[in-house]
Amino acid sequence: MNLELVPAYREESIREDGMLFVRTDGILETMVKAPLILAGLIIVAVVIPLQTSFSSTRTLELVIYSDGSTHISTQIDVDPLEPDFELDLFGKSIDNFVAVGDAGFLLSEEIVEDKAIIDTLGSSSIVIDYDIHDLISKEGRVWTFSFDSPSDYTLLMPKNSVIVGISGLPNNMEIVDEQTKLDLTSGLSEINYIFGAPINPTTHKPTILDESLFNYVNVVVIVGIVVAAVIGGGVLMLKRKQQKSLSSIIQTESVSEKQIETKSIDTETIFSFRPEMRDDDKEIVKFISNNGGQALESELRKKFLQPRTTMWRAVKRLERLGVIEIDKKDLQNLVKLKKDLEEEK
Amino acid sequence: MKKILSFVLLILVSSMILGGMTNPAQAQTDPYILLKIAKHAQKQLENQINQDSSDKIKQLFKDGAQQIKALEESLKNNEIDLAKQHFLSAMRIFKEVSQQLSINQSSPAEIATLKATAEDPSADLLRMQNYVDNLKIIAKKYNTSVNFSDIDNLFVTAKKQIIDRQFDDALQTISKIKQITVDFNNKIREYASQQEQSRAKEYAQKYLEQLDRLIENAKNKGLSEDIIQKLETARENLSSATNPHEIIKQVREIISIKEQFELTKNDRLESRVMQIEKILFTLSNSDKLSQSDLEDAKKTLQTIKHHLSQGEFETANELLRSLATLLEQFQD
Repeated sequence: MNLELVPAYREESIREDGMLFVRTDGILETMVKAPLILAGLIIVAVVIPLQTSFSSTRTLELVIYSDGSTHISTQIDVDPLEPDFELDLFGKSIDNFVAVGDAGFLLSEEIVEDKAIIDTLGSSSIVIDYDIHDLISKEGRVWTFSFDSPSDYTLLMPKNSVIVGISGLPNNMEIVDEQTKLDLTSGLSEINYIFGAPINPTTHKPTILDESLFNYVNVVVIVGIVVAAVIGGGVLMLKRKQQKSLSSIIQTESVSEKQIETKSIDTETIFSFRPEMRDDDKEIVKFISNNGGQALESELRKKFLQPRTTMWRAVKRLERLGVIEIDKKDLQNLVKLKKDLEEEK
Repeated sequence: MKKILSFVLLILVSSMILGGMTNPAQAQTDPYILLKIAKHAQKQLENQINQDSSDKIKQLFKDGAQQIKALEESLKNNEIDLAKQHFLSAMRIFKEVSQQLSINQSSPAEIATLKATAEDPSADLLRMQNYVDNLKIIAKKYNTSVNFSDIDNLFVTAKKQIIDRQFDDALQTISKIKQITVDFNNKIREYASQQEQSRAKEYAQKYLEQLDRLIENAKNKGLSEDIIQKLETARENLSSATNPHEIIKQVREIISIKEQFELTKNDRLESRVMQIEKILFTLSNSDKLSQSDLEDAKKTLQTIKHHLSQGEFETANELLRSLATLLEQFQD
């Protein structure tokens, strides 16, 4: 029994005033059922993560083609208890719809207007790809992308396109294979673009950044000179020892240079056989090659700071090109460079 | 006691508020990106404005350039909100400049470029390539006999035709690709439907298990015979269903009964049980989890199911959470 929660103040106040008033200093004990609220909050706190676990968009990636159509790729967590999942499409003009469930199984679907009913049959995560023709309009030379997104998403603009109008603020921007990639937040966005000269990211460094960099460089140079002077003496003292070890360092360097050369020849061979390979995929191949010909997919994600699905797609692209093969190692994808590339060509 | 209660309440409320604040904090714009985008637009438009451009366009462009200067100033002074406003203003002006240029300038060279873009089927080809790439992955998954070498050759041909600017020929090749893709799609779906049957049965089996727990719980709680009878009839119908469509129909029927009699409150826990079962299945095929740990996890899952059938949802929930946390460590 909890004696401290007995409403003692209420009885007291009734006796004093003869009326049913509640004193404010005893309000928690008299009006509020603290244990009930506590229990309620605990239940809410416990239930919230479960509620958000099901039917939520994990990733959403959009790619705009040069003719104004858009490719949508999304990964959605769905309730495994439900037999099907109703997906709101972003328009009615849909092509090339593919829904894949757990373990890469193709899922049946029925598209009615702007909805797709997907037979998930116990899948807890689905990946959906489709092309849509409803998101972009064109007036004169100006193309307008208009999209009301339920979640944050990435948008890959077409090659040679230049953004000349944007209604919101992007979170990030990068150049991928000569294409602008934007990270945008949920909600309505409108982006106007035209086709212009190819993008050269090196020519668009913000001047303010240069100035701040200049200040940093000044400081670094001054500090560097001082540090160099201090360690200069030490360097002279160690000169003899260094001369001895220098020969071995040179030898080691020449060996590693040879190794790199060999590896680069390998990657160059791959690139010559697969000229259609994207530049960002080439970087992945180079990394795997330098990593002894194999790397875990998680390592690639960490190295290239890519989300899970983006890297998965890149790896799948390379697999389709016959450049790599995917093995399983401790439940993880081990990506290996293939040795029989020429045979497959 | 009062202090403890207040403290616990404070922690709970704070954690909820802070939890809700996490996402917006992550989604903060790097202001230098804004300058990059705006300057890029400025440079492009600058190249397009010439002596023949109207005064209105020239004035608008000047205004836009002014906004970019102000944007740079704001960034120098670390006035981020102001910088964002200047960015949006600059982009609004540049959009108008582009529209005005689009109306006023239609030089023969530009018209020719636009026409070429309209005729060039590169985008169509790229779309088909991505679609076929997707189908290839699925075909491989099902070990189908679909041979993609012909269609691959057609892609090579179409690419060459586009490079040689033989757009009509390329369109014909793409048309062939589309026809073949329809056939491939149908074939792959045939393979998929065979496996869908077994997946549907597996799903129905899992659903029946949770339905049994629901019925047992309903009996324990002394629910009316009518409700229990309806659930048992629905159970019979689901267990006799064989094809995926029939299974989905029967499960929908059960969901409708559950909703009608407000029996859905443990559905989320049952969904979680299904997820955990999948994780356990995956882990059982790896050496990440020792045999004894795996057995322990399975036993815990059985205990959870027992609690669910007895209507002890809080205990089941707590155990589920502990098990999920444990298994997540092994998954990573």
